[in-house]
Amino acid sequence: MKKPASRSLIALSTSALALPGIAEADTPPLTSSLSYKISNYQEDELSREQVPFGELERYDIDVHQFQFISPLGRDYALFINANHENMSGASPWFSTAGTNGQPVINMSGASGIYDSRSEVSIGARYYGTRGNIGGAIGYSEENDYRAKYVSMSGSRNFNNDLTTLTVSLSHSDDSIFPSDAERFNRVRHENKRASSVAVSLSQVLNPVASFQTALSLTGQSGFLSDPYKLQDSRPDGKTQIAFANSLRYFFIEADGALQSDYRYYRDDFGVRSHTLDLSWFQNVTRSLKIVPMLRYYSQTAADFYTNIDDFLKPLSESQSSDYRLSAFGAVSGGLSVVADFGGWSATLTAERYVANEKYSAFTVDQPSPGLVQFTRLSLGVNYSF
Amino acid sequence: MMNKGFMMIGLGLVTSTLVGIAHAVEEGDPAPDFALPSIYADQPAIALADMPGKTVYVDFWASWCAPCLTSLPLYNDLYNKYRDQGLEVVAINVDNPIEDGLDFLLDTPLDFLIPSDPEGDMATQFSVIGMPSSYLIGPDGEVKLVHMGFRPTDMEMIEAAIVANLPD
Amino acid sequence: MIRLMAVLITLGVLTGCSQVQPWERGYLAKQEMAWDSDPLERALNDHIFFSKEASSGGNIAAGGGCGCN
Repeated sequence: MKKPASRSLIALSTSALALPGIAEADTPPLTSSLSYKISNYQEDELSREQVPFGELERYDIDVHQFQFISPLGRDYALFINANHENMSGASPWFSTAGTNGQPVINMSGASGIYDSRSEVSIGARYYGTRGNIGGAIGYSEENDYRAKYVSMSGSRNFNNDLTTLTVSLSHSDDSIFPSDAERFNRVRHENKRASSVAVSLSQVLNPVASFQTALSLTGQSGFLSDPYKLQDSRPDGKTQIAFANSLRYFFIEADGALQSDYRYYRDDFGVRSHTLDLSWFQNVTRSLKIVPMLRYYSQTAADFYTNIDDFLKPLSESQSSDYRLSAFGAVSGGLSVVADFGGWSATLTAERYVANEKYSAFTVDQPSPGLVQFTRLSLGVNYSF
Repeated sequence: MMNKGFMMIGLGLVTSTLVGIAHAVEEGDPAPDFALPSIYADQPAIALADMPGKTVYVDFWASWCAPCLTSLPLYNDLYNKYRDQGLEVVAINVDNPIEDGLDFLLDTPLDFLIPSDPEGDMATQFSVIGMPSSYLIGPDGEVKLVHMGFRPTDMEMIEAAIVANLPD
Repeated sequence: MIRLMAVLITLGVLTGCSQVQPWERGYLAKQEMAWDSDPLERALNDHIFFSKEASSGGNIAAGGGCGCN
């Protein structure tokens, strides 16, 4: 006589394990769940002003994400993730001065880029009386890029489970083998490694609020340049540090919760950034939530960023016209609708992202002509059993 | 608003002192005497004093506690198996608001007694240190087993403890 | 002295904060109060921003790379 698990149980089964202070012992998920999310990501076309010749179209990407979670015996859980994305479009190739001296972009190959990426990862976690520990291995493949990674993390609860300390480690080993390398005189085969360590501390403040503070340190080494750009030469090592703070606050009268996340980031390419993420979860009925989201991001430029490529500069000197290394600000907003029907739930999300040097919190010496604007639509479904 | 915050911190300090002194109910202790209203408005109050000579399994649960919700239907089976031999199951609900607990019970009817303790008065007396927590009280009024957390495989051990402590 | 006071005040606040009893954690258990309330959404966002901005990292150690950046 196996009864279907109740709605409230299913809603809890995946979230409660991520929270400190809910039960004396950390509990593995009590039900299995299968999730799928399909998204379309579309960048706005560039203008003729930004790109005097050739294609104006940028990336259009379809993303499929799968996740399977299952309890494994009394104390363990199994996690399997698989992603697949198909992309088409073009990306900036090199940057020159236009007729008025302002930087203009030349896009990669007239025929555009067609690529796909597949990724799979598998992980397991042990849940003990005072915390949990687990790890995962993953593999990602594109026709010009391969990544193998491994991660581990452990959490321990203190202070009647009101305080949680989490330590996580990860390492990734990547290979880069650009397509059409001979024709365009690109590198043939390069490697890149990244190792990362993060420590976070969460504290329950009162019955409706909790706070988390985290520090992460990442070291990268190897080929960190963009092989598809005509003139792109970056240092072969990079150290990144990120300091993140999160607050969760439930407003009883409003029957809604505020999620607020702030991150400060800096690296030794010279980039510093602020990220602020705000989401409001409004419960409308027992089975319907509306979630507006707002995000602000701003970064400084890398020390070697230039918005007009200098082809006379030797490759031994760092230089890049990658818009991602320029100083800019970005504002994005979105809306999610989450519906729960017993063991099923569905989430529909729309998001709009606009990057612009005018939104920058930092001074912009060399604005990039290639900043991104995109629109993203997602539909996710989750089934628990 | 500010005052409320300070009061909460103050209250927290006071409670922490009190909880620090009050000691958690352990095996071998006499069971705290409880008396609480039923979660159902039309049913009588529920008190340990009204169950002399019985084996009482007391469980603290809430609708937001996933392992609690897994355990209740299993306790219901256990109750129906041993009720004729003198077993009472008392599942104290600590939901606040009470409606959250009642909502769960609509989907999942349970046969045993369900008192409501929205302010956590009994939970404080038992010094519950995690959810769910359950206490097996023998016919002599002594706590025979304290069990914290719940996974379905725990049922075997709980059933064995109950059988060993049923009234003669 | 000032350091000792700071430690004492911090401890006081922490113990003040920490007296949320196990049976009072109903709001904290809600899905929208989780650090990661929608893991697939979070993974997608991390992936997009990782490939469009220079920053990454934060709460957990970074995962695998992609040719997107």
